[in-house]
Amino acid sequence: MSAMLIQPACKSEQQSAATSNGQQAAPPGSLELVFTYGSEKEAWIKDVTTQFNNSGQKSSSGKKIFVTAIPMGSGDAIDEVLLGRRQSHIVSPASAAFIKIGNAQSRTKSGKDLVSSTDTLMLSPVVVAMWKPMAEALGWGKKPLGWSDILALARNEQGWGAFGKQQWGSFKFGHTHPEFSNSGLISLLAEVYAATGKVSGLTLADVNKPTTASYLEGIEQAVVHYGSSTGFFNTKMLSNGPEYLSAAVLYESNVIESYSNQYNLPFPVVAIYPKEGTFWSDHPIGIVEREWVTAEHREAAKTYIKFLLDRPQQEKTLTYGFHPGDVNIPLTSPIDLAHGVDPREPKTTLEVPSVEVMDAIINLWRVKKKHSNIVLVFDTSGSMKENSKMPNAKLGAEQLVSLLDSSDFLSILPFSSSPSWAARDLPVGSGREEATRTIESFFPTGGTALYDSIGVAYQALLDSPKAKSISAIIVLTDGADTDSRSSLNDLLNRIRFDSEKHTIRVFTIGYGTDAVKDVLKSIADATQAKFYEGTTQNIQSVFKEISTFF
Amino acid sequence: MPEGKLTLLGKIVVVLLIVGCGYLAYYFLVQKKTDDPSATDPGSKQAQSNQFSGNAVEIGLAYGTEKKSWLEWAVREFAKTPDGKKIKINLIPKGSQEGAQALLSGDKSINAWSPASSLYKEIFVQDWQVKYSNNPILKEESLALTPMVFVMWNERYQAFIQKYKTLNFTTISQALQEKGGWNAISNKPEWGLFKLGHTHPGKSNSGLMTLVLMAYDFGGKTRGLALKDILNVDFQNWMLKLEQGVNGLSDSTGTLMREMVLKGPSSYDAVFVYESVAIDFLKSAEGRWGELHIIYPKENMWSENPYYIIDAPWSTKEQRAAAEVFLNFLLTEPIQKESLKHGFRPANTTVPVIFAESPFTAYQRYGLQIEPGSTSEPPSAEVVNNLLAIWQRNQGGR
Repeated sequence: MSAMLIQPACKSEQQSAATSNGQQAAPPGSLELVFTYGSEKEAWIKDVTTQFNNSGQKSSSGKKIFVTAIPMGSGDAIDEVLLGRRQSHIVSPASAAFIKIGNAQSRTKSGKDLVSSTDTLMLSPVVVAMWKPMAEALGWGKKPLGWSDILALARNEQGWGAFGKQQWGSFKFGHTHPEFSNSGLISLLAEVYAATGKVSGLTLADVNKPTTASYLEGIEQAVVHYGSSTGFFNTKMLSNGPEYLSAAVLYESNVIESYSNQYNLPFPVVAIYPKEGTFWSDHPIGIVEREWVTAEHREAAKTYIKFLLDRPQQEKTLTYGFHPGDVNIPLTSPIDLAHGVDPREPKTTLEVPSVEVMDAIINLWRVKKKHSNIVLVFDTSGSMKENSKMPNAKLGAEQLVSLLDSSDFLSILPFSSSPSWAARDLPVGSGREEATRTIESFFPTGGTALYDSIGVAYQALLDSPKAKSISAIIVLTDGADTDSRSSLNDLLNRIRFDSEKHTIRVFTIGYGTDAVKDVLKSIADATQAKFYEGTTQNIQSVFKEISTFF
Repeated sequence: MPEGKLTLLGKIVVVLLIVGCGYLAYYFLVQKKTDDPSATDPGSKQAQSNQFSGNAVEIGLAYGTEKKSWLEWAVREFAKTPDGKKIKINLIPKGSQEGAQALLSGDKSINAWSPASSLYKEIFVQDWQVKYSNNPILKEESLALTPMVFVMWNERYQAFIQKYKTLNFTTISQALQEKGGWNAISNKPEWGLFKLGHTHPGKSNSGLMTLVLMAYDFGGKTRGLALKDILNVDFQNWMLKLEQGVNGLSDSTGTLMREMVLKGPSSYDAVFVYESVAIDFLKSAEGRWGELHIIYPKENMWSENPYYIIDAPWSTKEQRAAAEVFLNFLLTEPIQKESLKHGFRPANTTVPVIFAESPFTAYQRYGLQIEPGSTSEPPSAEVVNNLLAIWQRNQGGR
């Protein structure tokens, strides 16, 4: 994987992960080990790390060892240490490819590796997770399925009707953003491999073939939206049901997790191991080779890693749906058909292509992906004067503009006591500078007509639909509605999501301490989007995360 | 996956590694048989093991990952002994080239070193002398021996044999070039393409051995591999076609075998690895993806896993003594006998190989044999160098 791909990887995953972490602080007098890791294995790490921290293990100088485990995107786990932003002692990204790239970058910079040796904690293959009745309609359980079946379904204008299931509507597919998340990148690589019929040795010529572009475009047009993390996608699919997503690219462990009692699902979910081949996520763990890792840290880190690799903890990885890294533990339940997965799969894995080929695939995706039609609804009320809220919010919004693709469309609707269009249907490719200038021109004044403004933006998107695009509204506000004629209920009734006609999503950012979180969350939830808490410190990250949906 | 190209030093080092290793193993296995066994019996070393009288000390042992399970077990056992109460052993996994580079760059955590094969020593000694003006090796012994083998998922091996009758580099090459993969080999389209794995010849001893044994296989000879054999266009085309079908190119043999067992036939149908590594994973593979089968190439080469006590300026007298105590412990009968469980043939020749629990008895149904075929004569440095250069030139930065 290229540095280009890793650098932006999962910035926003870190954001959400850091806030949801909520781990207790290291007790005074203890030896703290900072452990940053790919968030896919968060549940297991939390479980066994709590156990470790309570076990009273001592360092060589007799201090109690305390591990602060922080989940984040795999790219970030490496980048943060490379850049010295976080002084981690142990890292564990989702894939060994991240360690390879990190070491290569570290050798270029400092002549030494970032992580010199690793152990495999656990494994999970990347799969297409699909609701069981839908998978069965495609032939699951009777014949091998793959990307060619996904493509045929995505291209069929009858959608599920082609399988006699008109009531299921169109085929709705999802994978994460390939520049932010491992599984999203893997989805693209696998789609291109499938288009070429190869399992290794992918070349630039393969990527540049018109048939490859057409294959990729065919599948991507069925995508409902992208997203920053596999875990988030998994939750969205399971909590919103088959009317929201027919299938998504997830890890096998996510499929197994869906059988736990925490979800009340209409149908089981099953794993399709694409017959054309897939990739493994192999979770390497290693000690960081940096000056802040003292001999005592190193010793303590070895104790912790050994604990993770000990049989009881390794057996637990199975209960969380992973293949244990300890090869002496046989694969048993829940890695079985009763949990929607097949312990004899995958049958074929794919070779990670060269950096050049991966870059070419990302570039091809930018052209062939599902494009977006976005309205930015931006609060310019008088209260935005306070605490440098306005300049920071502008920087965040400008970052969003910079991250949108050239083929996307952007409209900008600033509001105070009433909404007033500042830009309509700007093609981002030619209008990026104009959009930035427009945002820079905002200044705070007046009241807050929040509901009316969202209503205006929603109607505008309904009135000028762009075929085959992701339509969405991004709302930033710092206070309660003061000036709307319509009520919150009126608005919610107008915008409530259904899978065929009302598919516009409204992402809401409650900015600062006066924002009314419940209201904004209800608006986001009604449209199956997401609510974010924004501050002057994190607002750029929030906009960045929202950009991963498009 | 992309891998760095070999530096000139790296090439020289691996050439000397393979040549040196080969000659030593060849001598050890072919010539030694005619000598008086007691004269070179490593078992006699245990008599020198005196109780460690120094203060508590800690030493680092850099080692090839193919010995991981055995050495980790040995370290735990050592810790239970009176010496082990005073001497703490830190195991540091390092590939052959990596271990030497770490020592040359002054890695103070290493006091002893045990690569997969012996005479990487020569170039290491030369480089060391330039820097420190002394012989870096205070003492050396072979710990355990192992030949090379093909390992294949048994179900797929049976299907392979059905079609090609025998398994060698020639038939593997045919399978790798089947356009329909397993569909053409055995009417099993769901098995995908045929997938072979071996380690990176520029980074791992077993990878370079693979190339040499390929050349012997193509030439149909057991000794006297010459430059003209390597420069033969037919051989080169054959080798390069075969290599185009090779997956992965792991840096270490232990990692490659572990990956085969962890990821199953989706990653590799067959790998070419040390016999010891294959044996170490036979049982665990059954709990994951099914039974494995071991196949010996007609012509083979040996690795003898040397243990060097390093005369490093950062090693204290006590650390040197401790490294020797641990070496002697490794050569004692119980520890050598345990090496058998991890698939090695003990260097201590007083330790029997055939007994009920020995893998060489218990695992015969997996294809394990006492006699691993004939031992190939190690080719000259010039031949190996050219072989590696031809391979490297055609890997496109792999």
